[in-house]
Amino acid sequence: MLNIAYFEAGPADGPVVMLMHGFPYDIHSYVDVAPMLAAQGCRVIVPYLRGYGPTRFRDAGAPRSGEQAAVGADMMALMDALGIKRAVFAGYDWGGRAACVGAALWPERCIGLVCGNSYLIQDIANAMAPQRPEREVALWYQYYFQLERGRAGLAANGREIARILWTQWSPNWSFDDACFERTAMAHDNPDYVDVVIHSYRHRFGLAAGDPQYAHIQRRLAALPPISVPTITLDGAGDGVAPATDGTASASKFTGRRIHRVIPRAGHNLPQEAPEAFTAAVMELVKA
Amino acid sequence: MSDSIDRGRRLLLGAALSGVAGRAFGQAEAPARPVRAPSSERMEPLKQVDAGVLNIAYYEEGPANGPVAILLHGFPYDIHCYVDVAPQLAAQGCRVIVPYLRGFGATRFRDPAMLRSGEQAAIGADVIALMDALGIRRAVLAGHNWGGRAACVAAALWPDRCSGMVTVNSYLIQDLARAMVPISPKYEVALWYEYYFQTERGRAGLAAHRREIARMLWQEWSPDWNFDDVTFERTAVAYDNPGYVDVVIHSYRHRFGLAAGDPQYAELQRRLAPLPPITVPSVTLDGDKDGVLPASDGSASASKFTGRRIHRVVPGAGHNVPQEAPEVFAATVMELIRA
Repeated sequence: MLNIAYFEAGPADGPVVMLMHGFPYDIHSYVDVAPMLAAQGCRVIVPYLRGYGPTRFRDAGAPRSGEQAAVGADMMALMDALGIKRAVFAGYDWGGRAACVGAALWPERCIGLVCGNSYLIQDIANAMAPQRPEREVALWYQYYFQLERGRAGLAANGREIARILWTQWSPNWSFDDACFERTAMAHDNPDYVDVVIHSYRHRFGLAAGDPQYAHIQRRLAALPPISVPTITLDGAGDGVAPATDGTASASKFTGRRIHRVIPRAGHNLPQEAPEAFTAAVMELVKA
Repeated sequence: MSDSIDRGRRLLLGAALSGVAGRAFGQAEAPARPVRAPSSERMEPLKQVDAGVLNIAYYEEGPANGPVAILLHGFPYDIHCYVDVAPQLAAQGCRVIVPYLRGFGATRFRDPAMLRSGEQAAIGADVIALMDALGIRRAVLAGHNWGGRAACVAAALWPDRCSGMVTVNSYLIQDLARAMVPISPKYEVALWYEYYFQTERGRAGLAAHRREIARMLWQEWSPDWNFDDVTFERTAVAYDNPGYVDVVIHSYRHRFGLAAGDPQYAELQRRLAPLPPITVPSVTLDGDKDGVLPASDGSASASKFTGRRIHRVVPGAGHNVPQEAPEVFAATVMELIRA
């Protein structure tokens, strides 16, 4: 489906780590993680997700789907294209969801999983069940994106929206303008608005999926367990998905699973706490 | 310090302020009373009247032959926005009428099958229907939020029924044709509940957590207002109205063009679509701490007021100006009563 732009570091024969970024971020979430992993012998692959940076749809007419099945399938397609049999999947936000989808449906391709905010496969059948209002207010952008006003707002004011979300989600992270702009350029991708809007509508059941992923989405609807060794990380300062003790998602991890809370870190775990994130990946590489 | 001395000081302060107000408005004999009603004080007894499609519950105070001021509350508030305004106006000779809007408190739809519309034409028409039912020819219309919108609608479409208007946040008639035009993201964030209510999840969330949502909005919109639990709950019981969720959800969907209006208001909505001017004397107030609609200098809406219009920023007040700054709000209404 895609022509994927990715960053690679480390020895070509090293154990492979797929580092998957989230919204509204880009590969620079791993700017400090990637060299640390490479220095410890890993082959690190950091792709731009569909809709971000120089990654492009090969078919100009393809639906710009942002659904979970698509972002998971994209990661597997990249591994196939690069001839990578197995890898550690690591991610947060959309990238954590891609990693969960890959780990759940293709466990034979996954050495281990590192994921921010635990189990991220969406339960679309229950998407209309409200959460506590103090949680819903943090999802303002998701509700905004349901409207054409939100689509127009994202198209016109994408940087301001991203900056607001970075600030809300990572209250303890003091990023500077250069750091923000380095990533925000990735949001100029011509498919960014369509993919983002579709992603947030599809998860509420308010946009149809791309039919080519229907068979994957059908399997995800059952909320399949993750059987590979897993480390889940929560940022104690996460402003959108508050830190948990991991117990609510325990039944979704049927293999070895360790849950950790990273002090002070917000939602963008790999960029805010690169040492802790790298250490978690290395534990699975060496396991 | 003993309780009685503290109480005495408060009464003294109340008397002093009343005295100042009395001189300003030429009423020397304003009775001594606390500046603010205790948070447990309810505006009672209520009256009920069949008015148009509703049976409206309302609070009335002041001389029956006085000039009429109709005080219109907003979302998610109730008549107690005016708990301190109403007695000040009554003491100065006004007949004060404070209705529960459709969907709030003891107001009911007369036809149980009727669409629970919350559209702007409906709440404006409700004000005129109440005036008709009570035989009130003309009144000063004052409100904030939904109530300010109702006042704007009534003043714009029935100027002969409106002797003056006080609103918070200036001109509030909605421009549905431009509802899909985004505003700066920092202001869109504050409208999270409006976007939430577009989804069925938002409807379910409002039904399940109406108090928590309202409390969050009170805090976001009035960051400097230290309301206590009793004050909040006094109002929150008004959300238990069986039509509350439907009316609120319809109101927020209709303004984005995402819910059809009640056909009986289509003609009124057609007249509101071109954003008709307000010709009656108006005073508009903005709270300088308003967390949902930031205070303005009033110039952006100037062309919508073709009569005399004064704009003021109220220091320290948030979105709920009548409850947060009742002296200012009451004095503003009196300016129009006496004009």
